[in-house]
Amino acid sequence: MYRAFALSAFQTQLAYRSQVWSYLFFALVIVVAKVAIWTSVYGNASVIGGVTLKQMITYAILAASILNAWEYAPLIRGIDRALKSGEIAIYLLRPVSYPLYLLASQTGDLAYGVLVAVLPATLIAILIYGILPPASPAYGAFFVGYWVLSFLILFLFAVLFGLAAFWLMTAFSLEWLLQAILWIFGGGWIPFWFFPEPLGSIARHLPFAWIGYYPTAVYLGKLTLEECWLYLVVGCGWAALLAIGVALLWRRARLRLVVQGG
Amino acid sequence: MQRYLEILPLLIRLRVKSEMEYRGAYLLDRLAQIIAYGSAFATVWLIVNRFAMLGGWRWPELALLLSAQLLAYASGAALSFTQFRDLEEQVRLGTFDVLLVKPMSAWAFQVFSGFNIGYSGHIILGLGLMLWSLGQVEVHWTAFAVLYLVASLLSAAMVTAALLTMLGANALFLVRSRHLYSIYFGIWELTRFPLSIFPGWIQTLMLTVLPLGFGSFVPVAYLLGKPIPIFGDWAGIASPFVGPLPVLLAIAHWRYAISKYQGAGG
Repeated sequence: MYRAFALSAFQTQLAYRSQVWSYLFFALVIVVAKVAIWTSVYGNASVIGGVTLKQMITYAILAASILNAWEYAPLIRGIDRALKSGEIAIYLLRPVSYPLYLLASQTGDLAYGVLVAVLPATLIAILIYGILPPASPAYGAFFVGYWVLSFLILFLFAVLFGLAAFWLMTAFSLEWLLQAILWIFGGGWIPFWFFPEPLGSIARHLPFAWIGYYPTAVYLGKLTLEECWLYLVVGCGWAALLAIGVALLWRRARLRLVVQGG
Repeated sequence: MQRYLEILPLLIRLRVKSEMEYRGAYLLDRLAQIIAYGSAFATVWLIVNRFAMLGGWRWPELALLLSAQLLAYASGAALSFTQFRDLEEQVRLGTFDVLLVKPMSAWAFQVFSGFNIGYSGHIILGLGLMLWSLGQVEVHWTAFAVLYLVASLLSAAMVTAALLTMLGANALFLVRSRHLYSIYFGIWELTRFPLSIFPGWIQTLMLTVLPLGFGSFVPVAYLLGKPIPIFGDWAGIASPFVGPLPVLLAIAHWRYAISKYQGAGG
């Protein structure tokens, strides 16, 4: 049944094909910007802090692909709208779990995003700038696993923030707050190895690191294979903790919910 | 005409009053936006902190660029962005038709009744950062330099408002316009960095068709004596006068859009 929800979300997105071009354009512009920034700061140096420019360009392309594949803001707004308009009642009447329904439909959106925005944008970026292969096939496999985890953690944060809007009355500020956190601690813009210490070490252990930093760092082989396993387990731990948080918050929201009107 | 002008402040007051009904949420939203822009600026700081310079610019110089970018955007967008982004929805629902029969310009009503005081967070952050950075950078301050900066910011606000208005007005004949904004904001993200680090086609785009380069980079670079790509110092001299051009274009475009408007049907 949840597979059907995912499929239906995918098909709904297909109906808005005109947005694909602007989506693609946005994704590409961000990659162009990042590559320009790294090229500029590297200047004539080929290696800075053990990282080559080629690796930074790969990092920029991959991090942009991961972060552009799926947008969290519509989910936060959607949950907020469903709770405030009473639309949520539809889900309560059905024999489905609302958080699982969201996961299924957002997975459909993710699949759409990967297909129409990420794959073409990444291919174009690769044609223009080139990209390094994964450090080894094992690292490549880890990258895929970390990507799935990245989506799960970002999804859980978005649901958590969306549900929190039920108490705070403003989903707008929560959306901006999440964006603020991700800008620095998601690792999408600047990898943590360029952070001053101890900020870098702190950032490496926050759950946001698994959204943009770890998948890309793993791809480039910046962790040993043992560390890859270790951090994958730690990341899953964070995801489990967030899932419990969502379950608890959803339960409290459900108990507080009074749907008015008939 | 005078009565007409008297209505505009009233429309703004009405808007402020209705926003203030949710004072707590309003303040929380502004705080969140200040934090979000603060962290976007912090990413620039992190790069300069590690590499000392970005495209030949030091941190206080970049801070001046960032503050000018935010101020120009906020003052232009307060008069245009949400108003014309939502035009698409008004066209679809048919509520835009109501504006056409009001005894005043549909544009003026849309802009001033939707005047967005939500940009106050941007203004506070932008002014604060600008005052700090102006004390740090090496500029020979004369009355002329001050006048130049103020005029350039006004001109940049005009560019912002004109572009955002034109994008939204497309909804009147294309019905959909929202996705056009992602193109604008994609380019806008680039204005946080010195234009000189980008490839030539982006520089050309940002100094001609989408003249966001004049929004912050050109005047700040001119004041600081940094090189300006393609047009050189001529662009710096022109920047206070660029704004009216897109405004005239936006007026013509709005008239055209209104004349083509047929409603979304149904």
